Amino acid sequence: MRNLDYLEPESLDEALRMLADYGDEAAVFAGGTALLLAMRQRMLAPGIVVALGGLSALRGIGYTPEAGLRIGALSRHSEIARADIVREHYPVLAKVAAGLANPQVRNQGTIGGNLCYGDPATDPPSVLVALDAELEIAGRSGTRRVAMADFLVDYFTTALEPGEILTAIHLPPVTPGRVGHYKRHLRTPAEHRPVANVALTLTERGGLWDDVRLVIGAATPVAQSMARAAAALTGQAITLDLAAEAARIAAEDLTPVSDARGSAAFRRQVVRATVRRIVAEAAGLDWSEAAA
Amino acid sequence: MSHHWISLTLNGETIEAEVPANRLLSDFLRDQLALTGTKRGCETGVCGACSILIDGEVSKSCLSLAVQAHGKTITTVEGLAQGQALHVLQAAFMEHGGLQCGYCTPGFLIAAADLLSRNTSPDDAEIRKALSGNICRCTGYQGIVDAVRAAAENLNGT
Amino acid sequence: METSAIGQARPQINAREKVLGRARYAGDLKLAGMLHARLLRAPHAHARIVSVDTSAARALAGVRAVATGADVPDRRWGVGHKQQHVLARGVVRFVGEEVAAVVAETPEIAEEALDLIRVEYEELAPLLDPALSLDPGVPQVHEGGNLSEEINIDRGDVDAAFAGADLIHEETYTTHSQYPGYMEPMATLAEVDGAGRLNVWTSTQSVFLARQRLAEALDRPISSIRVIQPTVGGGFGGKIIEERSSVIAAFLATLVDRPVRLGLSRLDDILSGCFSVPATIRLKMGMTRDGTIVAKEVDILADCGAYAGLAGEVMTVTAMRSDNMQRIRNIRTRARLVYTHTMPRGAFRGFGGAQMSFALNSHMATMAEMLGLDVIELHRKNAIGPGETSVHDWKIGSCELPACLDQVSEAIGWGEKRSRAKAGGVLRRGVGMAAAMHVSGNRTIGNWDGSTILLKVNEDGRAVVHTGESDMGQGAFTMLAQICAETLGIPVAHVTVAAPDTDNSPYCIGTLASRVTINGGMAMVKAAEEARATILAAAAAKLGCDAEDLALVDGVIRSADGAHTAPLAEICRYHIYRHGGEGIYVKGSHDPQTVRFDGDFRGNIAPAYSFAAQAVEVEVDTETGQVRLVETYLSDDCGVAINPLAVHGQSNGAAVQALGWTLYEELHFEGGRVINGNLADYTMATADAVPMMHSMIVEGYEPNGPLGAKGASETAILPGAAAIANAVYDAIGVRITDLPITPEKILAGLAELEEASLA
Ligand SMILES: Cc1cc2nc3c(=O)[nH]c(=O)nc-3n(C[C@H](O)[C@H](O)[C@H](O)COP(=O)(O)OP(=O)(O)OC[C@H]3O[C@@H](n4cnc5c(N)ncnc54)[C@H](O)[C@@H]3O)c2cc1C
Ligand code: FES
Ligand code: FES
Repeated sequence: MRNLDYLEPESLDEALRMLADYGDEAAVFAGGTALLLAMRQRMLAPGIVVALGGLSALRGIGYTPEAGLRIGALSRHSEIARADIVREHYPVLAKVAAGLANPQVRNQGTIGGNLCYGDPATDPPSVLVALDAELEIAGRSGTRRVAMADFLVDYFTTALEPGEILTAIHLPPVTPGRVGHYKRHLRTPAEHRPVANVALTLTERGGLWDDVRLVIGAATPVAQSMARAAAALTGQAITLDLAAEAARIAAEDLTPVSDARGSAAFRRQVVRATVRRIVAEAAGLDWSEAAA
Repeated sequence: MSHHWISLTLNGETIEAEVPANRLLSDFLRDQLALTGTKRGCETGVCGACSILIDGEVSKSCLSLAVQAHGKTITTVEGLAQGQALHVLQAAFMEHGGLQCGYCTPGFLIAAADLLSRNTSPDDAEIRKALSGNICRCTGYQGIVDAVRAAAENLNGT
Repeated sequence: METSAIGQARPQINAREKVLGRARYAGDLKLAGMLHARLLRAPHAHARIVSVDTSAARALAGVRAVATGADVPDRRWGVGHKQQHVLARGVVRFVGEEVAAVVAETPEIAEEALDLIRVEYEELAPLLDPALSLDPGVPQVHEGGNLSEEINIDRGDVDAAFAGADLIHEETYTTHSQYPGYMEPMATLAEVDGAGRLNVWTSTQSVFLARQRLAEALDRPISSIRVIQPTVGGGFGGKIIEERSSVIAAFLATLVDRPVRLGLSRLDDILSGCFSVPATIRLKMGMTRDGTIVAKEVDILADCGAYAGLAGEVMTVTAMRSDNMQRIRNIRTRARLVYTHTMPRGAFRGFGGAQMSFALNSHMATMAEMLGLDVIELHRKNAIGPGETSVHDWKIGSCELPACLDQVSEAIGWGEKRSRAKAGGVLRRGVGMAAAMHVSGNRTIGNWDGSTILLKVNEDGRAVVHTGESDMGQGAFTMLAQICAETLGIPVAHVTVAAPDTDNSPYCIGTLASRVTINGGMAMVKAAEEARATILAAAAAKLGCDAEDLALVDGVIRSADGAHTAPLAEICRYHIYRHGGEGIYVKGSHDPQTVRFDGDFRGNIAPAYSFAAQAVEVEVDTETGQVRLVETYLSDDCGVAINPLAVHGQSNGAAVQALGWTLYEELHFEGGRVINGNLADYTMATADAVPMMHSMIVEGYEPNGPLGAKGASETAILPGAAAIANAVYDAIGVRITDLPITPEKILAGLAELEEASLA
């Protein structure tokens, strides 16, 4: 790895100043799990890293009924998975954090790093879109909030401007009846990263679903909201046939990735299967009997 | 390049050292401190051979810089045994065929130690999940799973 | 008295240092003044090296040496075909071929220097597809054409036998290349010492073969080289004699007057490692109505990549080994090994057996179904038995194949699971099985398959075993210690096995062909018997009785009537401290009564043959194409299991490796370049990707083996792929004939079935 200056700002302001001063030469360093790999593989070659470890403003997970959940960007996946307030109010997010990667990476990688890296083959983006998350971003001119769906721009590209730092992730307060589901699919049981994942959130009213979000991750360059499929599921009695229909629509609307881990056609097929299953499971139906 | 004085607790001892910013924690342990029990198997965060405990949590030392270890408490495989007395996991790995070539073994022992510190009676599925960040090419995992289960039972006195 | 040292599950004798993290592997070793080496690899599959400019690299502070093909010995090295220079000269033949090397004060400086080397290439058209290799006008990998080797075997009257067959089935199977995936990437530490000798510590399966190869490649006398084996982190065939980095490291050490360590990164190891030989196998088989195999025709096209290495020997195994498992008499086989501009392929656990086992066992299952027979019955019907001589003149000693078949079919509930109604759901289950054989020992390296043990019994009555056979984790040293303890009459804990070292160990071939237990073990029995006789004679002299009346048990010498006793240590000291005395040093050698192949590939090459069967249940997800192994039972016929813990460990490890080959692992190439050469994308199974592994042992007794034992381990990798493929077929009716079984192939197969049912 090339020579490096490792800077340890003690405040957010100092960190932002450093980023401004060093410009392109500098990269933000959170857990380092993604950045170090990229540097070793020479995909990135910053001469300076600005380590966020000392910034208490980026830490902590808190919940208020008014503001909802705030997850500091430096929260590690394992911290999110174990946090009582996350498990209580957003169990689906705790489940995602507990099931991604492996124990070591969950202990070392931060949610902020995960999102800012913009790697499509990850878990949190789709579920955060489905949970209507907003990202809090600090820059030299102040703080802004960006909807999660707008934060993801393309492969390894986010809405972060140069010199900005992601400080926190906000989730709206939980409303009664709102539930979330998540399913990831591995191409083979030995794969480490999802080839597709599906997040589903909805509010149950009188046995019917309302305010449905169906979001696909990993199979697409950025997490993709499936509005047509979600609409199909809204206000209807959920049957296996309807689940299959929503799955068909989602697969049709998908903008799939095509690479060595799965062709576009394969990703479509997997998304279709996974959507059908998550919908069926959410409705307490057994999908294993009849094929779509 | 920046150099840093770091101070940490390593296998129960306080140590101080100077490290260049770009030194990986795994290289620091192996090359600078001669603690070669921590292995390099992929250096891309996949195989787990470099696993150590950082503040009691299993971590891959190839995914971390040495400077990040400042102020932390670290346990490597060399720190598991108490003098001549093996850690229960070490004894169980020996007895149940948890190792063959031994190259993956330090990493598995550390990952298993992390598991048992949080879950004293894991079932097989939990054991396999907890070890999913580590690769062994020799054992087919059965001996490892058997060993971790036996160690847990041993700790519980069952 | 201690229970027998044999047959008890016991930890490996070197397990303690391993769990303590104190076992030393080559990459852990450090010598004062040690330098670090890094390699520059070719980015092209086929190119002429026009020029190499190393001046900037040489000028970098901290760089001690830079070498290119121009600097290496003219002599070429190789197993049979002498084709390789230590660093590529003139032409590069695969992406990743080593073009230059740097030795520097630190690994970082060495890496920086690599960036400063300017190589100008003239790209040439590469040959990447083995199927095209023999076509006219394609690029030539070596002068003399792309055909590396061809073998033809003709037995009996194949045409007449086919004419008399009730059923003939023909199919083409393709198998892919597997990375050995040992967890320790290749590492070597080498130095030329003050006396001018080249000392090499390297991760190898054979110190003597390593020394011989270094002597050839570096063009220096054998005895000027000393190879020492540190702890080895797995080999699986890849660390026999084909990997190149140890040769390069040793060469670099001759350029500088300081020790040099070359530890490969995983990416480097994948690019320069030795993958298994991919083969396309056309198999045609004839059977009578009752399932008797009457004729077989085989055509194999195997790809050795850019250099032949051991691939020719591997292909021979693919071509003929499984013929010996059955009572077949009429066989016609053609096998051709061709070059391509891809990484060299060669030895891998199973040594070519897995490729044919996949084809044969898939074929057997298909034909059983066509005949309305149970495939297990089909195997039983055709299985060779003890005392029989096979079509290639192999003399079968012990053979418990039928018992293996019984064991796995009972364990998995074969009859019941085969006959259950096929469910029509999304997740469908099926069962499959396969059977295989392997050699224990093999007289092919030269006209010797022997082994020698030097045994020292120290003045405290404890033993030190010197062997040139190696332990890469499979437990060879523990096996030797157990046999030594059992035969000599001392506790296992009193036996030390010294690390193989060409200066101090007796000449041995090393660990390949499952030969160490059977041949090394026999040498160990002989050496220990000799030591015991020496000890008892000395005891008789000291105690004033007859040696025949004495026994050595658990470290104590005792006469039958109990009148005379002495601790072993006392006798060992007495053996030295007397007029004309000396320490106890004995030697045991064993060379089995086997022969080399004659010109027609006939002859009993091994003292014993091992057998195995495996039955599995899979679940196929018909919507995503994912195949999950649900249950697996593997039964190994390894004679007397000296250490059941080790045998189960070998079987489980082999079964998971086979599972990986079948479902999880696949190399992807783009223009000859490996695009998934890292462990994140070349996915070897983790613990959560495999079910509980059931390993079983059928205990037979091998008359030619030490205390009844024969080889374990390699046999166990052979049945997995076909067992899984057969189970997939049972589950969904899709027959996959090209490995690996990917989700895409499953989905395509299901789509085809659906189309056919609609048509
Ligand atoms: C072996 C392995 C398996 C994995 N498997 C999965 C998986 O299954 N699912 C999954 O979702 N993920 C997976 N990951 C990815 C993992 O979640 C990320 O590597 C991790 O979360 C990144 O966090 P980090 O703190 O280490 O980021 P870093 O490496 O520190 O940073 C990553 C990038 O984000 C930037 N950055 C970090 N924090 C901020 C911030 N606050 N503001 C602005 N920019 C910032 C950095 O500059 C850098 O470009 C895996 C990773 C590995 C190594
Ligand atoms: S060496 Fe760190 S995970 Fe493989
Ligand atoms: S024991 Fe060899 S890799 Fe696990």
